[in-house]
Amino acid sequence: MTRLAAVTTEGAATHCPYCALQCAQTLRNSDEGAVTAAGRDFPTNKGGMCQKGWTSPTLLRATDRLTTPLLHGEPVSWDTALSFVATRLAALRASHGPESVAVFGGGGLTNEKAYALGKFARTVLATPNIDYNGRFCMASAAAGANRTLGLDRGLPFPLTDLGGAQAVLLLGSNLAETMPPSVQHLAGVRATGGLIVVDPRRSATADLTADDGGLHVQPVPGTDLALLLGLAHIVLAEGFADVAYLDERTTGLDDIRRSVALWWPERTEQVTGVPVATLRRAAFLLANASPSRGGSGAYILTGRGVEQSTQGTDTVTAAINLALLLGLPGRVGSGYGAITGQGNGQGGREHGQKADQLPGYRSIEDDAARAHVADVWGVDPADLPRTGLPAIELLRSLGTPGGPKALLVHGSNVLVSAPDADRVRERLASLDLLVVCDFLPSETALLADVVLPVTQWAEEEGTMTSLEGRVIRRRRALPPPPGVRSELEILADLAARLGSTVRFDTSPAVVFDELARASAGGRADYSGLSHARLDAEPDLFWPVPAGPTPHPGTPRMFLDRFWTPDGRARLVPVDHRGPSDDLRRDAPLFLITGRVLAHYQSGAQTRRVPELVRSAPTPFVELHPLLADRLGIDEGDLVQLDTERGRGVVRARLTDALRPDTVFMPFHWAGTGSANRLTTDATDPISGMPEFKVCAVDVQRWHGPVEVLEDQSLLFAEEVLA
Amino acid sequence: MSVGNQVRVVVVGHGMVGARFVDDLHQRDPGGRFRTTVLGAEEYEPYNRVLLSEVVAGKLDVASITLPRTAHRTSSTVLPGTQAVTIDRHAGVVHDHAGERHRYDVLVLATGARARIPELFGRRVDDDLPAGAHALRTLDDAREIVAATVNAHRAVVVGGGVLGLEVACGLAHRGVPVTVVHGGTNLMDRQLDGPAAAAATARLTSLGISVRVGARTEEAVVSGGRVTGVRLEGGEVLAADLLVLTAGTVPEVGLAQRAGLDVARGIVVGTDLASPADARVFAIGDCAEPPEGGSGLIAQGWDQARRLATLLTEPSAARDDVPLPTAGTDVVKVKGVGLDVVAMGVCGPLTGGRRVRLSDPEGGRHIEVVVADGRVIGATCVGAGPVAADLVAAYTRGTPAPTDPAQLLVRPVAGTAVPAASPTMMPDRAVVCRCNGVTKGDIVGCWRHGARSVEDVAASTRATTGCGGCKDAVCGIVDWLRRSDPDQPAPARPATDTADDPTPVTAR
Repeated sequence: MTRLAAVTTEGAATHCPYCALQCAQTLRNSDEGAVTAAGRDFPTNKGGMCQKGWTSPTLLRATDRLTTPLLHGEPVSWDTALSFVATRLAALRASHGPESVAVFGGGGLTNEKAYALGKFARTVLATPNIDYNGRFCMASAAAGANRTLGLDRGLPFPLTDLGGAQAVLLLGSNLAETMPPSVQHLAGVRATGGLIVVDPRRSATADLTADDGGLHVQPVPGTDLALLLGLAHIVLAEGFADVAYLDERTTGLDDIRRSVALWWPERTEQVTGVPVATLRRAAFLLANASPSRGGSGAYILTGRGVEQSTQGTDTVTAAINLALLLGLPGRVGSGYGAITGQGNGQGGREHGQKADQLPGYRSIEDDAARAHVADVWGVDPADLPRTGLPAIELLRSLGTPGGPKALLVHGSNVLVSAPDADRVRERLASLDLLVVCDFLPSETALLADVVLPVTQWAEEEGTMTSLEGRVIRRRRALPPPPGVRSELEILADLAARLGSTVRFDTSPAVVFDELARASAGGRADYSGLSHARLDAEPDLFWPVPAGPTPHPGTPRMFLDRFWTPDGRARLVPVDHRGPSDDLRRDAPLFLITGRVLAHYQSGAQTRRVPELVRSAPTPFVELHPLLADRLGIDEGDLVQLDTERGRGVVRARLTDALRPDTVFMPFHWAGTGSANRLTTDATDPISGMPEFKVCAVDVQRWHGPVEVLEDQSLLFAEEVLA
Repeated sequence: MSVGNQVRVVVVGHGMVGARFVDDLHQRDPGGRFRTTVLGAEEYEPYNRVLLSEVVAGKLDVASITLPRTAHRTSSTVLPGTQAVTIDRHAGVVHDHAGERHRYDVLVLATGARARIPELFGRRVDDDLPAGAHALRTLDDAREIVAATVNAHRAVVVGGGVLGLEVACGLAHRGVPVTVVHGGTNLMDRQLDGPAAAAATARLTSLGISVRVGARTEEAVVSGGRVTGVRLEGGEVLAADLLVLTAGTVPEVGLAQRAGLDVARGIVVGTDLASPADARVFAIGDCAEPPEGGSGLIAQGWDQARRLATLLTEPSAARDDVPLPTAGTDVVKVKGVGLDVVAMGVCGPLTGGRRVRLSDPEGGRHIEVVVADGRVIGATCVGAGPVAADLVAAYTRGTPAPTDPAQLLVRPVAGTAVPAASPTMMPDRAVVCRCNGVTKGDIVGCWRHGARSVEDVAASTRATTGCGGCKDAVCGIVDWLRRSDPDQPAPARPATDTADDPTPVTAR
């Protein structure tokens, strides 16, 4: 029986372990002596939680919780495990150099752990090769915002600001399933009929536009960029642009005007499949809501649907260009934002897990930044490595000649969550050493030479940075099971075993103070923050620089100036190229991937919660009844999907929510139902983000044996249900 | 054939296709092997010719149709206002009107086409037209037409093809009374058959545009140097103070002809876009006549620009073959205010294929789809609305057509996404609260266990505790249960949970 140790009668005020909305929750001991979760009133979730949040305490009693280190699958002591890891790392470094060791982090780690991991890689391992699964989520949004607005903070305004909007253009986000309580902030815009959802699928979010809530725009997959260029064309052609704002606050209008001259509505219709009338309606809704035309405010928001693309950075750029043309960013009540996915996807990218960044969102190539951070770490700036390989290149290079021979994985299940999963498996298998830190035996952990059991959310202190740049406290509600350690302890121990003199604190509050110093003067400046201050003030948005008087934080960015050298936002011309794996004769359908409400990311956690498994027990593919009829497929039939990477076999679900030229698969499962064995690992040339969202597929009825479905992931689901 | 490692490319013509080719070429040439010199006859920067009819319609200003500057300013020189006069193929030199010589290793002709001027004006000096008569091919033409509309009382558009209809709609949109005079039996006879054209005519008529088909224009009536009307075959005179000539285009082939290249209607090129007479000379866009024929559409020209850039930059060993024309570049959509016409691929009966049509003359609608080998290979749409956009997507991408092609003629009515209106009709398995996966059956179950209010239901199932969007639905079900099951006293709450009983999730 797990009783809360540090929980008072009021319960432990913390936040949900899953997505970037970070719903406030209270963990309590129930009368029966168990831990229960309840929603807590907070500006973002207004007391709401989805099924994942309500059932999160189930993870605390997972029957296969890792509580002892494993060496080649056998339980061993911490000393044996860590000494094995240290010895192997030292040997590899000695014979192949520091680059032979790589680190793969996660967007679910607390700021403190993300910071410590980056520091460990750069100082103890001295390897440039650290990247994280945020490369799969936020890299394109980050690159797009950095090159236009000069700074990337997912939402540069509080989420609650959406409540007053007259129009919201939501591109490629299914927040009604991925972060359901956030839908409350769209009530106002639905009432005005101004919600515009762009998705090839009539998702739960697109359904919010029904009953005069707004407009669902259903483009051909992979053409969102063309759609945005077409909308910009209409805005300019109709004279909807905010000329005074553009003149005062931006540069590059002439180039944008010329580039979108090529995207007249009829051409846009031909490329996107979106009727001209729909394009015009969307442009009019946005324009009429814009401040310069007397509207009460408009927002343009992007999500993974448009960002996980080989033209993701350009798509985000086009979204920001459109927002700038309408005069939205940097105005109260209007703006552009990216909806961060993972729990700490924002903080995870600010504090040094990214191949090209140091804490405080600093560039690792900037000498002043290197000097500042090296000083905090007590090392010589010249010893800090430079830019390493971004995630996909890193995974592709594992075990290849000259590539890394050892990989440390923290908070990521790459075998299910990375694209072209069969290749990932092959690369992981070719490593000399794979070390995985996790609290559950994920598919990736099952391949590891060494597994180190770590704490989970309710067992640790720390901070997370939510989708709106709000820094929030994660609080310990109960002690971890015996045998489990925090990654802060593991990194400190390994540093010592590897003979490093760099200091690694193990107290999250102390690590946070160091992170704050390291971030001082950077773009994501946390130097005015501490655990103590955050405990007293839950409404602090970065940057919060240190100063003689406490800085109030920055809920809304860009009100006076953008973070570019001249303070003006840049309009950057971009053009549409189309998906890397486009349709061809033997793969004539689009495969798009996404999520279901009941599961989170690779499903390593949620597939272990019976209520969630009951809601979404097995992988599936959705197809339109007209397509199913053509292919001779009935509801529930087994279907094979073939792409250039691999084959999947799953059951069919028929729905008219999709375009007939498109099939949809969620990616939460491993085995034959793994969507990512089918997806392409082609990446965006600027952000390095892979094209998860669209590839060419051939779909047929499966005529092979039914036993194909008896793979581990499904058997596991049945076990949980039994 | 090049100086050192550099390849000198001279492009004649700086229109939409020439400009696109230069961009495509440099984009594929990061090493900077190619240097381009572009000779543009017009003084203007390249502009979007496709949108000239929008300028006429008053929907766009001139600034909005200027094309992007090349991003490759170091490797590309653009010479506006420079007319190429002769090509010395032996020496590999283009001479311009000012006597300058431009050496080339590769010559790309993108000279485009000019408007075909029908024989209505007797002998003309220097191609001059009388006041009030205009072709529509250049930015200057568009500006002049726009200026003329201010005082125009009555316009006649000669030629009922795509451009003619766009101009007619544009002028009507500006409030100028318009008549379209078309010599053929159908409007847009390159794309539409009789019934489709009839639907289009009906639509134009409803916009207040007069349509005269099978009407041949004999001559323009000119008085005092100004057009006052046109005389039709048979003698009838239509009064007009604005005459717009949209009678098709003629490829600009003079330069090629003088250089001894093969010329038919356009400059003859092979699949590799090269002249059969000279492997160093290529032609793309409206001036070219490739084996599949020139469509006069921008999509074909852009496709040729891309293919030629690929051909020149990729070593032939790296290619399987010459890149073939992309399918689906022949989609025609009329950009007329109030007119919705889209045509693509083949039309009419076809052996080995199926043709289905929807004829709805009273509704102003006509749709024909041709399917062969499981794919859409042609479609004609008048007044089809969003169906046309779907057909274009299916046609250009070759996605599988439905078993019954008739399904392509209308958009399937979207299935109902919300639960059935009455709780009585709602199946037990219908999900009411998506955030927490709560079905109607779950709510009925917890009523049976004593829940009597939305709050009770929320406490035991979590319904309404996510986004809150299902509150009304849950309320409705609770009311329905109260009505249908009024007297049942609330049983004592069960002390222990059963497998089916939704209870708070706990960790033990």
